[in-house]
Amino acid sequence: MQAITSLTSAFPRSEALVEATRDLDRGRTTPEAVQELYLRTEAEVARLEERLGLQPRTGGYLRWQDLFRPFAESWEGFTVGPLTRWFETNQFYRQPILHAPPARVAGAIASWLPLPPGASGPRKAILPGPYTFAGLLDNRSGETSEALTHRLGRLLAEEVQELRAAGYSAFQFQEPLLVYRPPEGARAEAVVAAYQALTTAAGGGTVAVWTYFGDAQNVWPLLNRLPVSLVGVDLSETDALALAPAPERRGLGLGVIDPRTSLVEDPAEVVRLARSIAERHHPTTLWIGSGAPLDLLPWEPATRKLHGLPAVRQGIDAASGAR
Amino acid sequence: MTDRLFPTQEIGSLMKPRWQLLGQRGEALDEAARADFVHWNDLLHFVPSDDPTLQKFLGDRSREVGAETVRDWAALFLLRYLEATGLDRVYDGEARRIEMYEYPVRQMKGFQFLGHVRSFDNKYYLKAAGTGEVRLDRPYHVEEFEFVRDHARAVPKLPITGPYTLADWSYNEYYLRRHEGWKGREVRRRAQRDFVVEIARQAIRPTLAALIEQGCRVIQIDEPAAGTHPQEAELVAEGFNAATDGLDAEFSMHICFSDYRPLFPALLEAKRCTQWAWEFANRDTDGRDGYEVLNLFREYGDTRQIGLGVLDPHRDEVESPERVKDRILRAVKILEDPRRIWVNPDCGLRTRRLEIAYAKLQNMDRGAKLARAEVAGTAG
Repeated sequence: MQAITSLTSAFPRSEALVEATRDLDRGRTTPEAVQELYLRTEAEVARLEERLGLQPRTGGYLRWQDLFRPFAESWEGFTVGPLTRWFETNQFYRQPILHAPPARVAGAIASWLPLPPGASGPRKAILPGPYTFAGLLDNRSGETSEALTHRLGRLLAEEVQELRAAGYSAFQFQEPLLVYRPPEGARAEAVVAAYQALTTAAGGGTVAVWTYFGDAQNVWPLLNRLPVSLVGVDLSETDALALAPAPERRGLGLGVIDPRTSLVEDPAEVVRLARSIAERHHPTTLWIGSGAPLDLLPWEPATRKLHGLPAVRQGIDAASGAR
Repeated sequence: MTDRLFPTQEIGSLMKPRWQLLGQRGEALDEAARADFVHWNDLLHFVPSDDPTLQKFLGDRSREVGAETVRDWAALFLLRYLEATGLDRVYDGEARRIEMYEYPVRQMKGFQFLGHVRSFDNKYYLKAAGTGEVRLDRPYHVEEFEFVRDHARAVPKLPITGPYTLADWSYNEYYLRRHEGWKGREVRRRAQRDFVVEIARQAIRPTLAALIEQGCRVIQIDEPAAGTHPQEAELVAEGFNAATDGLDAEFSMHICFSDYRPLFPALLEAKRCTQWAWEFANRDTDGRDGYEVLNLFREYGDTRQIGLGVLDPHRDEVESPERVKDRILRAVKILEDPRRIWVNPDCGLRTRRLEIAYAKLQNMDRGAKLARAEVAGTAG
């Protein structure tokens, strides 16, 4: 079993970026100056990932105003809607409003990805999962939610193909809604079909489904049916030892960092728990990251929490005999 | 307090006038800020026109006036502004406050600010962690209340952030660390209870006691986070009860922009709450009855007062008096007791320009009058 530590969400903006983006809104700085700071800060996140052995690289997604905004602003069929609470947090997203069946615009999403083309090492794209995307937008398109989930899966699959060509080898889909409001019946089947399209498009690349803000127990049978490389669960919400063993030849993601508290997790305790979970599920790969998005924390505490991950990785590797 | 039906009240903060912001920073007033001050002072007379300090402020010596004086003028301005719209219960538009989280937390021991967290887009708030036992440095809002008490012509109603919201908007380290082992859901729930109750007992209650000692009789406890984790509604109530334990005043609970249904019936255990002051107008749109949720009070047999939100604070559109009246009468029909209804905006009108907020509040007063007349006519 291979243990991989990874950024599994957007990273918080630095205090300098907080100040700069506020200044931008108040007309006290220029878009060019903020853009320059984004580039420098993304490079800083990439260096942090390298230093801590977090892979594949992400660059932190600092420019994304929320998980859906690049899509709502660049794909056809959408407008950007009202502020809406982001699950049970004090954060809000602007709900995309879908007025017609959506259509992607070539190159648009790639331009939002933070890593420059020349960045070294394998790269991971973190994108909204089709079920969460379909479920959280305001659907005025006339399509059923099942058809929309399936359609978004196909459109995201086209993005995956484009990103593969740009050098991305891993694709993580954020699916908090899968565990917060599990699908049933035809909607569940639409989720399976959407992930079939995504896995086909990935062409042997890693496809991960990342769940948080809910207990994966509620939807574990469906998660096990998804044709993906690995499924991630939030250990703050899910007792992974109580889950039925995962399917063979599949990876498991463990959200061991809880960004709802600034209290730093004890690496030894994480290793103990991760080992027990691995013994139960026998995953081919174990991804270790945050459960809920790290940008629920400010920059400094988020960084402090990530610094525990190398010790976690080493502890798991030592236990499994990997070198 | 008032015997008439559908008494009216403010609910939260108002936009700070530009002259206040410039004056507090010691910057010279520009022409627009000066004109704005003159306009409102002509209307409300909150600073005597022969006050020599006023002459300095409006002349080319505004920098000499000082931040404290400007703050007092702003508080007095917004107090008179609210009174002029006919409200029965008023405050100072929270003229001295910047926000509702950082200031109270800074009056307490046991917290450490960690940095900014994004609320949305390029909007952030400074977030603290509870790193030690919660203790109060000194009761807060007291001087602010004394100023309002000394100047108000209507009944003052003080808003204060509630313990659940302060805990929810903070990280819980100290009380979580006291629980050993993996910090799963059940551990987090217990630690959060400790955090909320300690904030309530150690910080909010002594502050409320100090305010009551100074004559504060009507207190609105703001719990905007109450709807964030519906399964914790019981904890919102427990925090409310701990904060108000043994205190003698009228306490209301303000909640807004939440799904109320999951809060029932657990929230109703807030036994010292005499009024639920909630947002309704925002959800009352064409084709959707925003007041239907009032049925929950009937369903659960709760007969306390309702602070009925009738103005949408996020829209410039000024609700007509007839629309306000209709909303009040809709609530009467559901609650079947007009005496339970207070009328207020959904939430603070701080995002609306002062002229817009004023027009909205005036129409709220007119709408309440129309509703009174209609109920009286029906009764007659």
